[in-house]
Amino acid sequence: MTLTCYVNGVLRTFDVTPDEYLADTLRRNGFFSVREGCNESACGACTVLLDDKPVLSCSILSAKAEGKHITTVDGIQDEAKKLSHCFAEEGADQCGYCNVGFALTVYSLKKHNKNATDEEIKEYIVGNLCRCTGYQSQLKAIKAYLKGE
Amino acid sequence: MRVKNYYYASSLEDAFSRLHESNKNAIIAGGLWMKKTAQEYDTLIDLSKLGLDKIEDKKDEVVVGAMVTLREFEHSPVIQSLNSGMTAFAVREVMGLQFRNMATIGGSIFGRYPFSDVIAGLIVLDVALHFYPEAKMSLVDYLSYKGKYDGILTHISIKKDNAKGYFKKVKATALDFPLLNISISKRNNKLYIALGSRPMTAALCLKAMDYLDKNPVDDEAINKASEIACEELMFSDSTNISKEYRIDLAKVYIRRGLKEVL
Repeated sequence: MTLTCYVNGVLRTFDVTPDEYLADTLRRNGFFSVREGCNESACGACTVLLDDKPVLSCSILSAKAEGKHITTVDGIQDEAKKLSHCFAEEGADQCGYCNVGFALTVYSLKKHNKNATDEEIKEYIVGNLCRCTGYQSQLKAIKAYLKGE
Repeated sequence: MRVKNYYYASSLEDAFSRLHESNKNAIIAGGLWMKKTAQEYDTLIDLSKLGLDKIEDKKDEVVVGAMVTLREFEHSPVIQSLNSGMTAFAVREVMGLQFRNMATIGGSIFGRYPFSDVIAGLIVLDVALHFYPEAKMSLVDYLSYKGKYDGILTHISIKKDNAKGYFKKVKATALDFPLLNISISKRNNKLYIALGSRPMTAALCLKAMDYLDKNPVDDEAINKASEIACEELMFSDSTNISKEYRIDLAKVYIRRGLKEVL
């Protein structure tokens, strides 16, 4: 079947099978910033935005993206750079595998709730796992990013 | 999971007719738990384009479309103001934000999953399920319905009872399945108690509720009700929690919950 959707603002058409997941479709077509982690809806590494909402690309069928706007981290480069600067300042990452998922989730938070409290930030990122840090440095980095520091 | 065809239904009639073309056809909601099955489907029928993604605030009830996502549900001001926010809180306990942006109310209920926080949060309220072809069934009746229901769940309605509610999900980690769900509500001067993930699907503790109905609700009655509730429902071991510990937890949280809603 054919999937027609927008990826980072560009209209794209992909050949997909009905049981194919979005992460696989995107990676097969060169969007390697989309990372697969647990592949069972638990880690958030594969997060992309679907019509501006963070979703797990490992667990959503590609067919469900028909006509929708998909954003990968390639589509938010300026914001990702700002966030990675904050992460670096706070020492908030080590291996970096989870960063892409964090970047998209936190970007979404900034769009929807720029003045998020600590609790709201925690609630927003609870689906993004990091096995290197203890989340405290990330929390500080995210707060700095939301403040535009 | 293997799927041969993916089909966007143009109407409920169309979806229903497609569904019954083959016993290997199925309705897909968020599709999150389907992934974990080894099932083969001829056609998955998607209801996304049928306008079932709205929450309507009516005079006596709130009507929620089956394709409303858990995130939309928990963020709806109408839902947040319902039953002291307990319903929204129960849904917020489900996995992470990304997951709740995909999972739907209809899918969470229709599957009658034993681990469902959504069902556990709703069962103590006056909730009706609406199906196509036109049929209506209470959530409690649906949960005890034998076999797979033939119709398509289109929306649910939650009666505005001005209930006071309590919900507790006992879990080992933030993204874990529940080890136990406890939900309690007080509506129209009656107390409702339910236990889910025992590890069976949530069920009302009817004998405990009846006991509280017929006796003055003091500390002694609360203790007695927590004992009755744990005797009338079945509990089992899971890999990470024993049956005995589940029962101990249930008694403690039932007592706390009852005191909170009184």
